[in-house]
This record gives sequence, C-alpha cells and structure tokens, in this order.
Amino acid sequence: MDILWLGVFALLLIGYFALEGFDIGIGMLLPVLGRTREERDRLVAGMAPFVLAGEVWLVAVAGVLFGAFPHLEGETLFALYPLVVGLLVSWVIRDAGLWFRRRLDGRAWRAFWDGALCVGSYGLALTWGLALAALVQGGPVLTPLGVGYAAVVVGVFAIHGRRFAAWRAGGPGRTGWALLGSAALAAVPVAVPLVVAAPWLLDHVAPSSTLGVLTLVLLPCVPVMVAAQVWVWRAFGRRARTGVGARVPSFF
Amino acid sequence: MNVLDLARAQFAVTGVLHFLFVVLTLGLAPLVAIIQTRHVITGKPVFERMARFWGQIYVINYALGVFTGLVMEFQFGLSWSGLSRYAGDVFGAPLAVETMGAFFLESTFLGLWIFGWGRLPRWLHLACIWLVTLTAYASAFWVLVANSFLQNPAGAEVRGDHLVLTDFGALLTNPTLVFALPHVLGAGLFTGSSVIIGASAYQLFRRTREREFFVRSLRVGVVGALVGTLVAVGFGFAQFGPVGQVQPGKFDGNVVVGTSLGFMILIGELAVFGVLFVLTPLLFRDWLARWRWIHPLLMLMTPMPFIAAILGWLVREIGRQPWIVYGRLTVKDAMSPGLTPGMITASFVAFTAVLGLLAVIDYVLIARTVRRGPAAATLGDPGRPDPAASAPALTL
Repeated sequence: MDILWLGVFALLLIGYFALEGFDIGIGMLLPVLGRTREERDRLVAGMAPFVLAGEVWLVAVAGVLFGAFPHLEGETLFALYPLVVGLLVSWVIRDAGLWFRRRLDGRAWRAFWDGALCVGSYGLALTWGLALAALVQGGPVLTPLGVGYAAVVVGVFAIHGRRFAAWRAGGPGRTGWALLGSAALAAVPVAVPLVVAAPWLLDHVAPSSTLGVLTLVLLPCVPVMVAAQVWVWRAFGRRARTGVGARVPSFF
Repeated sequence: MNVLDLARAQFAVTGVLHFLFVVLTLGLAPLVAIIQTRHVITGKPVFERMARFWGQIYVINYALGVFTGLVMEFQFGLSWSGLSRYAGDVFGAPLAVETMGAFFLESTFLGLWIFGWGRLPRWLHLACIWLVTLTAYASAFWVLVANSFLQNPAGAEVRGDHLVLTDFGALLTNPTLVFALPHVLGAGLFTGSSVIIGASAYQLFRRTREREFFVRSLRVGVVGALVGTLVAVGFGFAQFGPVGQVQPGKFDGNVVVGTSLGFMILIGELAVFGVLFVLTPLLFRDWLARWRWIHPLLMLMTPMPFIAAILGWLVREIGRQPWIVYGRLTVKDAMSPGLTPGMITASFVAFTAVLGLLAVIDYVLIARTVRRGPAAATLGDPGRPDPAASAPALTL
C-alpha cells in the first residue's frame, strides 16, 4: 500500500508537469508568440479548456501529500516557505490573468491581465525549479544549482507550450505524438527528483490504517477522474482543430 | 502583534475571504443547474439565457473561491506544521479525499461546462453542471469532516506523541458534522438566492427591457431562499444540542462569540420570517415583481446572508479557542516551529494584498455583469455565424 500511494503521488505530480506545463509555457511565451491582441486571444483560447483540468493535478498533489505523507507536508512546505509563498502568489496572479482578461474590453485592461498571465507563468516555472533543487539538495532555497534548475524548468515548459500551440494550430507534422514527446520532456525535471526522493518519501508514509481508508474511499473515484480527463481531451482536442470553435468567443 | 497573532490573522483573512465566495458558489451551482434543466426539458430560450447569465455570475465568483482555497490549503503546511505532525494521520485523510474525489472532478467538469457550450451534446452539457453541483457539495462535506474533527476529535486515539485514525466511521458521523453540513448548504442556497433576488430587483426597479427574464429569475430566487432559509435556520438551531455536549460553554464568556451568535440568529430569524410570510406570498400574480417600491428593500437584503455566514464562521472557530484540535492540541503548539515575524509578515502582506485586491475586482465585475444585463453575458455566447470558420465543419 505504501508503494501504491507513492505511485499515486508521483503520477499526480508528473501529470501536473505534463498537463499544466504547456499552459505555463504559453503564458510565458504570450508576448513572443502573440504579437497582436487577436493572436494572444487565439493562443489563450487554445489552452483555456485545458487549464482547469490541468491545474487541479497540483491541488490533488497537495491533498495526497497531506493525506498519505502528513509528516512531510508540514516539514517540506515550511522548509520551502518563501518558495511556496512565491508559487502560490504566482499561481493566483496567473489564474487571475486568465479569468479576468476578457471580462472588459479596454486596451489597458487586456494588457494588464495578459501581463499578469505572463508574469504569473514565469513565477510558477521559476519557483518550481528552485523548490525542486532545494528539496534534492536538502538545503537553502536559493543556490546556483537552483537557479540553473529553474532555467531548465522554464526551458522545458516553453518548449512544451510552443509544441502545444503548434498542435492546436494544426498543419502537417504537428501530431499528437510530438506533443506527447514535449509532455514527457516537461515531466523530466520532476521525475528525476521523485526517483531520488522515493526512499525518503516511503520513510514518511502514513500508517496503514490511514492509507487503507484513503484507498477504500478514493479507488472508486479514480475511473471517474480518468474518464473526466479523457473527456476534456476528446471534447476540446481534435474537433477544436477543425476551426469549428473559432467563431465562438472563448470565455478566457 | 506577535507571530502567533499574525499567523492566526492570516488564516482568518484567507478563511473569511474563501467562505464569502464559496458560500455563493454552493448556492448558485444548484440554481443554475435547475434553470438549465428547465431549458433542456422545455426548450424555452429564456431559460437558456437565464442559465448563461446567472452562470456567468457563478463562474466569476468561482474564480476567487479557487484562489483563496489554494492559499488556505497550503497554509496548513506553511504556518501550522504542528497540526500535521500531531494529527496529520487523521486530519489529512478527509482533505486528501476532498482534493482528489471532489475538487479535482468539480474543476474538470466546470471546464467542460464553461467551454463546452454549443459544443457538447445538450444532455451531456447539462450533466456537467449537475456533476459540478454534486462535487461542490461533496467538497463541502469533506471539508466539514476535516473541520468537525478539529471541533471534536472523534475516531482517533493518542499513540505516543500523535493521533492515529482508529474509526473512520466516527469521523463521518461526528455530531459536530451531521447538522453543520445541511446548515452550511442551506446558508449557501439562501446566499445564491439572495443574489438572484437582489440583482433581479435592481433590474426591475430600473424598468428593464428584460422583464420576463427577471420576473422568472425573481421567482427562482424566492423559492430558493425559502428552502435555503428554512434548512439553514432549522439545522442551525439543531446544532445547539450536540455542540453543547462536545464543547460545553462554547458560547459563554467571549464577547465576539456571543455578539456574533446573536446577530446571526437575528438575521436568520428575520430572513425566515421575511421570506416565508412576505416574499413567498407576494409571488401570487407576481406582485413582488410589480411592486416597484419594494425592490430597493430587496437590494438592501442581498448582503445579509454573507454577513450571517461570516458571523457563523466566527462563532464556530473562535468559540473553540485556544484549541486547534479540541481538548488535544492548542493553536499555539500547532504553529510551525521557527516561523519568524519576518516570514509571516511578508506572506501576510503578499496574500492579503493580492487576494484582497482580486476580491474587490471580482465583486466589481459581478456588479457590472448584473448592471449590463443578460444581453452582455459572454458565457456560452453562441457567436455570429462565420462562413469561413463553419465551412470545414461540413467536411467532417
């Protein structure tokens, strides 16, 4: 059961990097890929249906951390205090950019929230890089290795975001396989620390009475979770590429 | 203020903000689902426009519920690591179930609902909003399971220096849970209904062109408020018994708790009286919609359920001080060891500034949506037919 919950935790975290990495990447590249307001709207509209289904993976990571590794939850989050605060503020600012950007039409309003979306996305990628490096090193939150690692995370998310934008735009050579490749690449920066930290995580797993309850209650939810995620990709993946959706203004 | 006061204030500010938005989410979700169901069954366009308009208000409000909720979830680890060390084996389980089994699904289905207008088959799209409602209720249930454990640590035993889970069933049948859950859901329904009543009254007072739209909305709001107030007040009073048993003296001696409780009961009783004996009878021949002089009063009523919800939260949470886990662990002992004034001040300022500002913007956006009326709703906008864009669809 310990291994099962380590697996669930790892899967959720890797899923977050693979499925939310491109949203963060597009946010970072918004000023570069979207020179005009129409281009930016098209980019955001392309990622919009996936954001809500993507960012919840991290909410679930935090929940499983609390439920299955309760002693690590306090210890780890507190050890990374400034980074966790930075990550949360970045996350909120990024999401506010998405939710608010199309609520008013003014130029300044749009520019401000597009800026928030971009800055928040950078904040997310950078704090993740610093946090993962600090966890592996078991040391201070700001080190040269951490800065380098943050740059790596920014890089892979940017590649993933670019691939996703190209896949949404359609055209030859922009296959789902290429997107899957960049998803795998985006997951590497978190998969490596997970492998390194696996024995340490197993040392801190919750007692079997707690894990038994979690397994019993959550196992029936797993098929529904998977089905809901698959539904999102079926509903907004293929058909959207035909351009049918283009005449409908996106909510984000 | 010392570090402990600051950490408590930070949690209180995020908690209150979270509750203000979540209580409206809980109420609007089922109302929007009911309205959309009527559209799917009757096929009347007015119900679709109502679902889009009230749905847009629901969705704008939802955003802030998420932002504040994220900060809440992580704050346990940031400020209160002593809680997870002492009680994490028990307290963590319902929170884990809430994130995976409820919020994960709620957010996924909400994305399908928002972006699936006009794209998903009608019945499946309707199923999405019902699933959002169901998972939002499930979310409320699991969060209250966790909170009720803090109020009354049932189902757990002390082993060494921490608590272990011995009886999961006791966690789910906690006497501080069973009446609190319907109380909160009823309060949510009353809140959502009040917003619909207040906004409809505003539009009718301004002699809106969308008369049928807002007359119908007003009816939905009054019926929702009738159910909501009766459930909230009924189960509110029903809580006195079990709370008195597990937390004797909870309401005595503390001025804030006593005053908050008094005002909440006053609001609740006035609401039941007003909705049951004034608003509901006035639905007869739509007198309520026709009597323009009464509309400003309805608008003034709108903030009442929000105020009552915050007062209720204050009673429940201040009334158990100094305990974080009642009778077992004090708030002081749960604070993260090593938390410095610098850390807590910086994060407090950052969270409060960002969330406070966004909350104000969010309410302005909701007010603006109400003022501009259904014609300007962008959620589920069918758009204009564009030959260039729709041409490839024919080739599918």
